[in-house]
Amino acid sequence: MHAQAEGVAAVYFDGRSSRLHQVLLTVRDGVAYLEGDAQRACALGQLRVSERSRHGARKVTFPDGAYLEVRDGAGFARLLQETGHRDSWVVRAQQSWRAVLLAAGATVLVLALGYAYLLPAAAGWMAEAMPVSLERRLGAGVLEAFDGRVFLPSALPAPRQAQLRAAFARLLPPDAEALPGGAQSGNAPDWRLVFRRSRIGPNAFALPSGEIVLTDEMVALLQDDQAVMGVLAHELGHLHRRHMTRRIIQGAAVGAGTALLFGDASTLLSTLPALALDMKYSRDAEREADDYAIAMLRRNGIALDHLARVFERLRQQDKAGGELPYLSSHPASAERIARIRAAGR
Amino acid sequence: MEMYAYQNEQARPAQPQRVKFHATGGEYFRIWIVNLLLTIVTLGIYSAWAKVRRNQYFYANTELAGASFEYHGNPRAILKGRIVAALMAGAYGLAGHYSPKGGVVVALVLAGLSPWLILRSLQFRLYNTSYRGIRFIFAGQTRDAYTVYLWRPIMNGFTLMLATPFVYQRMKAWQHGESRFGTARFSFDATVGSFYNLYAAFMLVLVGCTGLLGVLIFSGPVAASVAANTAMAGQAKMGFMLLGVYALLFALYPFFTSFLQKLVWNHTRLEQHQFSSDMRLGRLAFITLTNYLAIICTLGLFLPFAKVRAMRYQLESMSLQPQGSLDDFVAASGAPVGAFGEGMADVLDFDFSL
Repeated sequence: MHAQAEGVAAVYFDGRSSRLHQVLLTVRDGVAYLEGDAQRACALGQLRVSERSRHGARKVTFPDGAYLEVRDGAGFARLLQETGHRDSWVVRAQQSWRAVLLAAGATVLVLALGYAYLLPAAAGWMAEAMPVSLERRLGAGVLEAFDGRVFLPSALPAPRQAQLRAAFARLLPPDAEALPGGAQSGNAPDWRLVFRRSRIGPNAFALPSGEIVLTDEMVALLQDDQAVMGVLAHELGHLHRRHMTRRIIQGAAVGAGTALLFGDASTLLSTLPALALDMKYSRDAEREADDYAIAMLRRNGIALDHLARVFERLRQQDKAGGELPYLSSHPASAERIARIRAAGR
Repeated sequence: MEMYAYQNEQARPAQPQRVKFHATGGEYFRIWIVNLLLTIVTLGIYSAWAKVRRNQYFYANTELAGASFEYHGNPRAILKGRIVAALMAGAYGLAGHYSPKGGVVVALVLAGLSPWLILRSLQFRLYNTSYRGIRFIFAGQTRDAYTVYLWRPIMNGFTLMLATPFVYQRMKAWQHGESRFGTARFSFDATVGSFYNLYAAFMLVLVGCTGLLGVLIFSGPVAASVAANTAMAGQAKMGFMLLGVYALLFALYPFFTSFLQKLVWNHTRLEQHQFSSDMRLGRLAFITLTNYLAIICTLGLFLPFAKVRAMRYQLESMSLQPQGSLDDFVAASGAPVGAFGEGMADVLDFDFSL
């Protein structure tokens, strides 16, 4: 047993009053002794020592909540070393620049891998695990909410609507093996085609309820029923790959991640990277839906030129409208047309 | 034994005690990085421990009148609160995406719960903070929490938000008036008029800057360069204007909150001991601006340094003017406080830093 002669100056608070007691801390034979304004002895095993930091006071807490505050960092470190106290590995890592550099590298690596591979895979798996019936029920009110605000009743004659609906119903879904990435189930999801006149121009989208909304403006813009089939196949692709649910999961994870990274500075600052990062997933989903449409048109012997025409028309429309280039939720039309042409060869 | 001669605080003339902040950017950077990695690889579970480590670091490095603060939050309790909160936030997110009606219902339920959650969070936060071995306590009642955080803000809507400074003054009066250090009471005496003055000053700055921005964009050099492409001009101008106003709010917000904080602390006492803050606009502007620039230039790596820098200025602007000894406060007896509200506040991102 090593006898400890030198003491360390400290202040002591008894936990009942705010009175500051000046004391001297010494350790002899596994017992800590206080002398000065307060006298106390306590076995080392019952004391809790706060974590080390470079300039902050260390605290030694007694079982009853009373504690010592030690400002003499060097003296206290010597005392701790002599009593065999060891910092936790997290504290040792925090105090070492080498460990911190390693941690920084590992963080960047994990974030990049997670963003590029892990999160899309996990979101896909979770979306597949979610029963379709639950998704449908949850999405039940969405179309009604849009009606009246964004949509007006369709002006297309009922026979024309029925004609397009029947034409799409006749198409076979793509072979499972024809889809890149191999979708789990080859079965096409149930769908219901609804027509609307819109205030947002030519558009089509799939809702989690299984409804595919096609606007009159889109039919008018394309002037080609086979191209309309291409658009519908693309939307069916969104339904088939459960893109809505996947995007929600991915969006939540990206939001949580950026809040974790940048939330310290400001919540405002953290939403911008989240939006930008989420756009990649949006573009990926569009590409997957394009692939689905390509495979579906092929299986039914429809020339891919019809699908390419959709994006050409949309591009012309965009130019006329004069939109600014921005961080886009959709891949550039030129890229999509090139992909379709490449698939056609 | 002259090396630890008894310092009797009653014997010394009461000098203002300035807060000292010993944290450094480099050290917090290391804590931040290790916390970040562990949080990510444990899929967020470690975040509760990370929060405790971070708070313990900042509290232990904040010194007032020869003693530092201590944070006692229990990471397991915080984790439980966060899990429940994350599930509720997830339910809200899902409901909002799938069915707008469901989203509205969940939002209303959360709004109805929020005063209670805020109260629980305040209780947790204060109970887990101690100074000189005495814990702080929040003694506010649930009834008053609903008045402060729900009824008054709703009524404020009917006044076209003109009563905002009044609502805010009442909120701070309640928060500070119901805070205790052991058995000692805090009090708050800032007038409603002083809050109206501060809000009015910032509204004037905001309106002035927005006007200037409008003139620049719609008739200045920016307009000339965009006007070349007439098809784009209208949309582009509106876009620039929106971006400009967004950036303006972003730039002015920290000043607004800092000056609110200054006003609030200059009118807060602990029994007879008066707090004060001597924060200055120029210094604050310099720190805020250089922090933003450095964060952008380092792609976020400067974040922990920026946080410590901003905290240091805010904390070290504060001082306590003791009237007599600080040795006579007595601990209160009471049951420990659960962390549910705290976890909820973390996830839903309430901000009580003021």
